[in-house]
Amino acid sequence: MSSVSFETELAAVWPRLRRFAHALARNPADADDLAQMAAEKAFKSYGQFQPGTKFDSWMFRICRTVWIDTIRSGTRRAAHEAPAELGEGVGFDPRPATEAAIDLKTAMAAMQRLPEEQREVVALILIEGFGYREVAEILEQPIGTVSSRLARGRQALLAMLGEEI
Amino acid sequence: MTDDEEFFAWLDGELDAARATIVEARVAASPELAARAVEHRRMAAKLKDAFAPVMEAGAPPPQFHSAKPIEFGARAAGREARRASFGVPQWAAMAATLALGLLVGNLVGGSGETSPVAVDSGRLIASASLEKTLDNGLASVPTGSGARIGLTFRNAQGDICRSFQDGPAGGLACRKGQQWRIEGLFPGSQGQTSDYRMAAGQDPRLAELISQTIEGDPFDSAQERAARDKGWR
Repeated sequence: MSSVSFETELAAVWPRLRRFAHALARNPADADDLAQMAAEKAFKSYGQFQPGTKFDSWMFRICRTVWIDTIRSGTRRAAHEAPAELGEGVGFDPRPATEAAIDLKTAMAAMQRLPEEQREVVALILIEGFGYREVAEILEQPIGTVSSRLARGRQALLAMLGEEI
Repeated sequence: MTDDEEFFAWLDGELDAARATIVEARVAASPELAARAVEHRRMAAKLKDAFAPVMEAGAPPPQFHSAKPIEFGARAAGREARRASFGVPQWAAMAATLALGLLVGNLVGGSGETSPVAVDSGRLIASASLEKTLDNGLASVPTGSGARIGLTFRNAQGDICRSFQDGPAGGLACRKGQQWRIEGLFPGSQGQTSDYRMAAGQDPRLAELISQTIEGDPFDSAQERAARDKGWR
C-alpha cells in the first residue's frame, strides 16, 4: 500500500488523534509528541493494517500502546502525578466551573488525576464518542471492564469538576 | 452490570430497547436519578467542549516521504546502457524496467484501466486514457475529468514533451514515434488534484525533471494547438 493512502487516512483522523493524545498526556507538548510518535509507529506498521477494518480504531489502539509504553519506560513523569501547576484549581476551587465552560488546561488536569485505566476509557467514550464494544476491542478488555472503569472515571470527574457543573 | 453501570450505559445509549425502557422508567420515577442524569450529561458535554480547541488548531499531520521519485527516460536509460555494457544482460535491464512499471502502476491508482501508465516492450508508455489526454488535451482548455496537461515543449532531441497531472500523480511524457513515453512519474501528495491547472513548479521533482528536459521556451497556447494539429511531430 502506498504512503499516499496512509497519509490520506492519517489526515482524516489526525485532529481526533491529537485530541485523544491531549486527553491522555499531562501537557500539550507531551500530547503532540504522543500523536507524532503514534503516527510514526502506524506508518511503520501500515503493512499490518487490514483493509476493510476501521483505520481510526487501529490508529487509536496504536496511540494508546505508545502512551502506555512511554509511561512504562519512565521517560515521562508517571501520568497520575499531575504537576502541581496543573493540579491547582482542580477539585479545590470552592466554586468550580459552575456555569462557565471548562478550559482545556482544567480538563487536562482533571483527566490526569484519573487512574490511567479510567482515563483511557473516559477519553475514548466521553470525548471521542466510541461505543463500548469498539472501546473493548481497542483496549482488548472485556466490555464489563470497560463499563465499570467508565462508571468510576465519570464519578471521579464529576467530583473534581464540581457537582453543580 | 451494577445499577451504576447500567445507568451510565442507558445515558450513553448502550442498552437494548427493553433494558433502556426499564431504566428510563426508574429515572423518571426518581428526582435524584433524573438530576444525576442531567449533571452527568452536562459534565460530559463540557469535558468534550474543553478539548474542542485541540481539534481546530495545532500541528498538521506528519508527512512521510517514503515514496521515492521514479525517474527513467534519458538518464535512467543511460545508466541501464552503462550497466549493460558492463555485462548485465539486456533482459535484466528490461525486467527491471518492467518491474518498475508495475510498481508505478500500483502506486498511482491500481492497475488496469485506472493506471495512467502501461508497459510496452519493456518501456513505460501512457495508458489509453492518458494517451488520449496527451494527444488531444490543451492546457488552455482544461477538461473536467481525467488527466490535466501542464507544459508542452521540445527536448534536446526535438521531441515534444508534455507534463501532466493525473489524480495525485504528476509526470512528464515525450513523444516517440506513435507513443508517449513516460519520462518521469511522481506519486504526488494530497491536495495537488484540486488545483485548477498544474504549474510546472508544483512538485519540485517534476519541475526539476522539466528543467533538465526542456530546450527553449514552453509552447504558448497557439503553439500548443498548432503542434496538436500536426500530430505532435
